[in-house]
Amino acid sequence: MNMKTKNIIQAYRQAPWRMQLQWIGIFLLILMSIAVIAGVYLSLSGKAAITGRRIQSLEYQVSALELQINDLASQLAYASSARVMSERAAALNMVQRDPAQAIYLEVPGYSPESFSLAPAPTVDNIPSPSILPEFTASLWDWLADTLSNLPGTAQGSLEAQP
Amino acid sequence: MNNMSWSRYILILVVFVLVAGGVGVRMVSIQNIPAAQTILESSKKLVGVTQTIYPERGSIYDAQGHLLAGNETVYEVGLDLRSIAQPETIASVVSNVLGLDYSTTLVYAKTEAIDDEKLYIVLDSFVDKEKIAQLELIEEDYKNRTIGRNETRPSLEGLIWTPYNKRSYPEGDMGANMLGFYSFLDRVDGRGYYGVEESYNDLLAGTPKQVYTPFDPQKITSGDDIPPGASLVLTFDREIQAMVEQQLAEAIEWSGAESGTILVYNPEDGSIIAMATTPRMDPNYYWTQGEVFTGNTPFNRPVSETYEPGSVFKVLTMASALDAGAVKPETVFTDTGSIMVGGTTITNWNYGAWGDQDMTGCMQHSLNVCLSWIAMQLGADRFYTYLKNFGFDRNTGIDLGGESHWPLKLPGDNQWYEVDLATNSFGQGISVTPIQMAMAIGAVANEGRMMAPHIVKAIVIDGHQYEINPVIVGNPIKAETAETLTRMLVTSLEEESSIALVEGYTVAGKTGTAEIPTPFGYTSSVTNTSFVGWGPAEDPKFLVYVWLEKPTISIWGSEVAAPVFSKVVQNLVVLMDIPPDQIRLQASAEDK
Repeated sequence: MNMKTKNIIQAYRQAPWRMQLQWIGIFLLILMSIAVIAGVYLSLSGKAAITGRRIQSLEYQVSALELQINDLASQLAYASSARVMSERAAALNMVQRDPAQAIYLEVPGYSPESFSLAPAPTVDNIPSPSILPEFTASLWDWLADTLSNLPGTAQGSLEAQP
Repeated sequence: MNNMSWSRYILILVVFVLVAGGVGVRMVSIQNIPAAQTILESSKKLVGVTQTIYPERGSIYDAQGHLLAGNETVYEVGLDLRSIAQPETIASVVSNVLGLDYSTTLVYAKTEAIDDEKLYIVLDSFVDKEKIAQLELIEEDYKNRTIGRNETRPSLEGLIWTPYNKRSYPEGDMGANMLGFYSFLDRVDGRGYYGVEESYNDLLAGTPKQVYTPFDPQKITSGDDIPPGASLVLTFDREIQAMVEQQLAEAIEWSGAESGTILVYNPEDGSIIAMATTPRMDPNYYWTQGEVFTGNTPFNRPVSETYEPGSVFKVLTMASALDAGAVKPETVFTDTGSIMVGGTTITNWNYGAWGDQDMTGCMQHSLNVCLSWIAMQLGADRFYTYLKNFGFDRNTGIDLGGESHWPLKLPGDNQWYEVDLATNSFGQGISVTPIQMAMAIGAVANEGRMMAPHIVKAIVIDGHQYEINPVIVGNPIKAETAETLTRMLVTSLEEESSIALVEGYTVAGKTGTAEIPTPFGYTSSVTNTSFVGWGPAEDPKFLVYVWLEKPTISIWGSEVAAPVFSKVVQNLVVLMDIPPDQIRLQASAEDK
């Protein structure tokens, strides 16, 4: 035990309040640590709860919007149904054309597009695994390849030609 | 530490161990009492709720993207018994707006809530948006109303309305025979009946999912997406369907027919372009089915009702005989006015003798005697083999609910007699559905290739559209046979100056008049009149099948069904953008 340590022990023996202070300090440190952890936990769990409720609220909104979209699509379909359109045309004094009066004009290159509700499925382009030749070539292959690529070799010279 | 202190510590330890042991024993015993399971189930209700979510039913579109079946929002109005503040106010408002009985509603509103048993009462379902808007206005008015000190603010607290989807058919009864209907009033076990609603019910309905929603907000996560049911794009065109239905209605009124069917079929790929029939009902009011379809009336005649087609069937007899080499177009038959088959005398429709006729003449004058002779030349085995190849011994497999067929009587069957070979050759004694006829005769129009009839063009699942490829069901006749017969039928129509002809367009076709079998034999006073035709003859884009049942204006297909065919085709070529032959052939020549 060196002198410095001895001095400290002596100091605590002479004044026991130092010992108590030390214990109190340790206790407060633990207490603070617990308080900090509890605070962080409360903060995070509060945020999680708020986020959870927000998710729930957004999901309700999504459901409500989906219902609304369906309803609006139906309303539009009712408003533009064949019967309604026919009645509207009649109200505008339109008359049905005699098919015999139809005039055909050829529009070069025009072909009517067929209705598509969604894109066709596609096969995702999965990149094929590329294995470097270093992992597949034999030592002899590697040596031959390296030598053939050396500057000044016949192949290298030919490739350099314009 | 002295002994006294140790003994105290040991005492405290023993007390703690005993208490902990007691608690442990009690825990184990509680978990094993008979009520433990009930307690466990009850506790689950306190932490979350599991619900079955039914996906929204897929929509149905026509070939041009018009919505034929979709979903509209309606509401369920109910009472949350725990939060009702003013039962009288609720009963008064609900009886005024929804037309419900005041006293009954008041009794419901005063019902005491019982946990887990009675918390919610449904007052009304399928309430439309307008009524809910009225309730919202009243609620808003109550909230903003200025009231005096001693007055109580009226409140609708406890009255709740929840939106949900209801199946809707914006086009009403148009094409309803093809669409079928969805029994939306049954919100749990609703399903599709008839048409595509039935045949694609599982796809349209999607897959219900059990979803757990915790009450603890910290445990709420983003819910699983519940994809809607698949949507369908049909092959039929709304504008053409509307036109065909209009023509059918006019034809029935003009001819005095009991009912009618017009089928427009694409022989190249088997797609149904239009399918009109009577009667029809508005699927938005599907519960009227019993009133609309009385007796044995089928929902969709073209696929469900069999009938004896008469002379339109001669197309198939001639196709079989030409294909087998039993006759050639130039083969001459001397018609003496009758022929004896199996002990029965077969005569022509006018009981006349038509003398020497080539095969085109036989078709042109629709000679039963000639066709009977042709069938005999072909022989029963080959004749019925061809009929089976044309699909008359089975359903066509069209993707519409309720398809049926009449069993084909074959040689060797108890019910088959030798004379059946003759009568079958001109479409008597054999029952078929219009869709069977369209598919079979479609092979003649489509170079011998018989296509599977279908109504769905594409299916949309998870945001991707999957096209349905046409399917060749078989090649009952050779391409040369089909071409030859088409030419013969073009000639026969033109030489007859048939009223089925369409100016500017070359069409091939055949009339049909069939007496109707009854328990007392065939009736000649009422008939089934039919016409089948296709065009443009050298590159058919449509096949139209007309069937008018029991017309009163005339009993002949050539006078009743043929003009209907002509009118339909006159409009059809415009709607399908098919220019007259002259323009089309000129453009085709320039392209070459």
